[in-house]
Amino acid sequence: MLIPHPLLGLRDAEEFTYLGDASLLDRPDPHAPDAAQQFYEYQHLRDNPAGIHRELWFHEQGDRSWLIVTRNTLTHEILGAELARDAKGAKA
Amino acid sequence: MTELKPICALGGAEPASRRIGALSLREDAGLGLASLALRAGAPAPALGLVLPGPGGWAEGAGLAAFWTGAGQWMLEFPGGAGRDLAAELAGPGLSVTEQTDGFTAFEIQGPAAELVALLEKLVNVDARRFGPGSATRTGFHHMSVFVIRRAPDRLAVLGMRSAAGTIWHALVEAAERQEVPA
Amino acid sequence: MTRLSGGLIDRSRSLTFTFDGKTYQGHAGDTLASALLANDVRLMGRSFKYHRPRGVIASGSEEPNALVELRGGAWQEPNTRATVAELFDGLAARSQNKVGSLGFDLLAVNDLLSPFFSAGFYYKTFMWPRAFWEKLYEPAIRRAAGLGSLTHEPDPDAYDAGFLHCDLLVIGGGAAGLTAALTAARAGAQVILADEDFRLGGRLLAESAPLDRPATDWIAGIEAEFAGLPNLRVMRRTTVWGAFDHGIYGAVERVSDHLASPGKRVRQTLWRITTKRAILASGATERHIPFADNDRPGVMLSGAMRAYANRWAVSPAKRVAIFTNNDDGHRTARDLLAKGVEIAAVIDPRPAASGAGYRTIQGHVTGTKGRLGLSRIEVTANGRSEWIDCGALGVSGGWNPNIQIASHHRGRPVWHDGLQAFVAGPGGPVGLIPAGATSGQSSTAQALVSGAKAAQAALADLGITATLPDLPQAEDQALNLKPLWHVPGKSRAWVDFQNDVTVKDIKLAYQENMRPVEHLKRWTTLGMATDQGKTSNVTGLAVMAELTGQSIQSTGTTIFRPPYTPVALSVLGGGDTGTHFRPRRLTPTHDWASRQGAVFVEVGQWMRAQYFPRAGETTWRQTVDREVLATRTGVGICDVTTLGKIDVQGADAGEFLDRVYCNAMKSLKVGMVRYGLMLREDGFAWDDGTCARLAETQYVVTTTTANAGTIYRHLEFCRQCLWPELDVQLISTTDAWAQLSVAGPNARKLLQRVVDGFDLSNESFPFMACANLTVCGGLRARLFRISFSGELAYEIAVPARYGNALIERLIDIGADLGATPYGTETLGVLRIEKGHAAGNELNGQTTAQMLGMGRMVSTKKDSIGAVLSRREGLVAERRVLVGLQPVDASQPVVAGSHLFAEGAAQDTASDQGWITSACYSPHVGSAIGLGYLDNGDAQLGEQIVAANPLQAQQVVLRVVSPHFVDPEGGRVRD
Repeated sequence: MLIPHPLLGLRDAEEFTYLGDASLLDRPDPHAPDAAQQFYEYQHLRDNPAGIHRELWFHEQGDRSWLIVTRNTLTHEILGAELARDAKGAKA
Repeated sequence: MTELKPICALGGAEPASRRIGALSLREDAGLGLASLALRAGAPAPALGLVLPGPGGWAEGAGLAAFWTGAGQWMLEFPGGAGRDLAAELAGPGLSVTEQTDGFTAFEIQGPAAELVALLEKLVNVDARRFGPGSATRTGFHHMSVFVIRRAPDRLAVLGMRSAAGTIWHALVEAAERQEVPA
Repeated sequence: MTRLSGGLIDRSRSLTFTFDGKTYQGHAGDTLASALLANDVRLMGRSFKYHRPRGVIASGSEEPNALVELRGGAWQEPNTRATVAELFDGLAARSQNKVGSLGFDLLAVNDLLSPFFSAGFYYKTFMWPRAFWEKLYEPAIRRAAGLGSLTHEPDPDAYDAGFLHCDLLVIGGGAAGLTAALTAARAGAQVILADEDFRLGGRLLAESAPLDRPATDWIAGIEAEFAGLPNLRVMRRTTVWGAFDHGIYGAVERVSDHLASPGKRVRQTLWRITTKRAILASGATERHIPFADNDRPGVMLSGAMRAYANRWAVSPAKRVAIFTNNDDGHRTARDLLAKGVEIAAVIDPRPAASGAGYRTIQGHVTGTKGRLGLSRIEVTANGRSEWIDCGALGVSGGWNPNIQIASHHRGRPVWHDGLQAFVAGPGGPVGLIPAGATSGQSSTAQALVSGAKAAQAALADLGITATLPDLPQAEDQALNLKPLWHVPGKSRAWVDFQNDVTVKDIKLAYQENMRPVEHLKRWTTLGMATDQGKTSNVTGLAVMAELTGQSIQSTGTTIFRPPYTPVALSVLGGGDTGTHFRPRRLTPTHDWASRQGAVFVEVGQWMRAQYFPRAGETTWRQTVDREVLATRTGVGICDVTTLGKIDVQGADAGEFLDRVYCNAMKSLKVGMVRYGLMLREDGFAWDDGTCARLAETQYVVTTTTANAGTIYRHLEFCRQCLWPELDVQLISTTDAWAQLSVAGPNARKLLQRVVDGFDLSNESFPFMACANLTVCGGLRARLFRISFSGELAYEIAVPARYGNALIERLIDIGADLGATPYGTETLGVLRIEKGHAAGNELNGQTTAQMLGMGRMVSTKKDSIGAVLSRREGLVAERRVLVGLQPVDASQPVVAGSHLFAEGAAQDTASDQGWITSACYSPHVGSAIGLGYLDNGDAQLGEQIVAANPLQAQQVVLRVVSPHFVDPEGGRVRD
């Protein structure tokens, strides 16, 4: 597979380490009254779609950036990739 | 200066070098290295060169730099291994880390076509498009290295110092295989 | 010798080779198969199941029968197709899958027993009694079945791997591939042309007059032009064997398989080719027509027979017959006739088919004779049969396009009514464009145009304009094929030669309701041999379709998996074997340790000194006991460079570390070190280490050796994905510093001798202090006063290149203080004696509470894992880390043993915990252990049983504090 790195262009997936669902970016508020429940869901419950999936890849053998890659899990088509820190920043 | 005697990454008192056909391979034990990261909102420091963008390597007077990540570079100081680079470079807005001993540097010289053929056996980059001024970290025999095309006839491979033997072996073997007449 | 005139062999170069020990002559340009045929050798192997005599049926990589063992000794390679083995002087080949000689194979008895070996035989027969399976059935079947044999010696050859990138990869160098490459290369694109053959041209080399000029002239012209195009790379002897995601292809280049000795060359190179577009111009494979006893040596594909005649100047016999359902068979008859071969007859079931100069019979072949090779065929026409003498029979049932690679991504082939074959369908690898036969073109003229146009279209996608080249006039005949999938009859008619699957087997599958194509395959093993059914799949499907009365398309299609042709496992390894199997990381003191005779141990990629034996020490335990005692009474020195070191800088470095460690780090004073524990977000303990604050905005944290990479990745995740607003920068410095642990009562005295005027007194440099300083006359260094042994201890770090000299210096000048190097074994003993957790204790099931560190998890701040560490189940965890010591000091303590109350049943319900680490403690004078025990703190002083059922061991242990050494911690603070 080739990952379209936003800064470096197409890079072989072998350079990356896969983590999983990009919902890991949304770490719950530890001070919320139901923090325990929220963290339980954050930690253990994931969507596993047959289709479009936003997921985290780490460019371990590259620039050490975390990317959010949007991939169709049925076809492996990659619809886009962005730096996780940008995505997180845009959300904040 | 300390009375302790340093050794090179490959274990010798003197750096290793080999001439294999049209290629020359050389361990550069004298290269000083420091990593530089810009702190939040800090401007690039005045180093006498324009810090290169993603995938780039640039050379200035007495130093060179290559991009290693967003807001991060590795600075190279030929012959600067003995300097206290972290102290020299320290400044407001900068996170500088001494890296001279973190890496082993191998310099490879040869005709451009030979270097392209060698690159094809070493790392998964488009060798023909990896021209002078290119630098990247990529996979190499189950680890990662920095590869720098310093000039049409010069290529450098920088990897973990502890794995110097593995890297050197891989480079020498690739060069030797390339020199076998077809 | 049955050599004909012409051909593309170099008659001036004779090559000597052997087959089953007998010596033969061939020529440069021959394959082993063509050379054997030229020497009248038709019997080349025995079949997989029935051990039937078999000869070559094809002329290319699709060959199912002629599998041989090449070379000898450690170089022996089984299951090589004789049709692709390039002949060289001195080649030694042997037949395989036989007991006795090839001519008299004792296991041919299987053939007589064939009624018992029908499809599904194994599934039904070898089930009962169950005990017979492993001891009797499986070994017997494995001996009888299978093909070649392995040498069981290490592979002496070298292999290589490489990476190529291009705009366009052209797979196949026949008519379509050549025009595709030419068109794209002339347009300036980066092009790779890969062909499995040693000579470009594909079927053009096999035909007598495919073009308006000699095909070899046209190819030579193109090759000359290719040589001048730097943007084109022509790769001969290179098989593209698999398509992978996003335009990546795997290819194997056979660099020296065609040479008697590879010399310093690699045998093969594995190429990973990253492409923007690819063209599949892999041509087509002829299919045969199953009829009674159609597997005799001498029965072969008609197109192969023509290829042997035209390219290799060989006929398998002086008198041959052809059985065809299309015009292609007649082409073979004409070509052979022109070469002086006698055509006994052409049997063609189509009405009114005939050819000039030979007898045509409108009928079918219904039988064969000849024990080890064909001598006669039975021809049935209009209900009458006759036997015709011939030494070979060419069979043509049409051509199946080689669409394997197009279906590697589950692309479903589609049925082409005109060709009566499957062509590449949609859903194949993105960017792969079929051309020539794979796109349904069946003539040379169509292939030439199709290749050029495919290249033009591929380049247009990339924004490159290409012009179509001038093409020669070429053969453009239709096949006029009338489907004939098998000749009905009572005798066995083979469909899949390599796996011995007959029409009867398919009928049986039908009767047993194994009708869907995937069931058919698995029940009969049709197409599941090493050739993946290149010559049999479609025929098998068609026979099933006939039985079910459905169309072939609706019966199903089989798709293919990589590799297209068999790939040696060695080349997939790419040459990283032995010591180079993976990176070998050496510590900065490796050189010195080697000179001391250290024994090394692999710790991940690292080679670490395990212990330093001295003269007179006969067991490793003696050495380790000495090293431990020397450290506890004098001073021991150990290289701990392998611990991960991460430089953490930035205005928010403290805040960041507060969030990743469960305990506080922001409050750490500059010049001090703190033990740190990281949790996973699920609340379990993950990794521990130290965190040293070197400056207001700079910390150095250490990780365990094993977790150096994963913790770094995690910290980058926290930095980039969770809290990008924090001003913090990370970089690994593991390799930059040689770090030595200096431990023992004399540690301070020893270090005082190397530091440059630095005050090491307890007052100015107390326990858990750290500092930048210089040593040995101006060498930059870092000093940390930390201890994992329970002794007064320091870790000193210097630039890695000085590590070797520093340890040498310390041992040298510390002789009077008892300075002793120690390795990982002693490191382990020291930390177990002190009750420090390590990897065995931090196994992913451990909570901070179990480690006795429950209170370290700060409730004043949030950190990774803090919330979930307060989960009910984790808080309720009652197991805690304890020390364990045998009541009888002579008894062993074995890690992994489980703990039970004395007299209790030893089962899961009564399980109270387990032993995590154990060693012999010279300090205690017996074996000791650490372990997790239910309510361990309340059981101190009690006895418990350690059960080790693997060795039927029961040892009574006393539960003690995990701190066997200096439980009050006075020594580290002295």
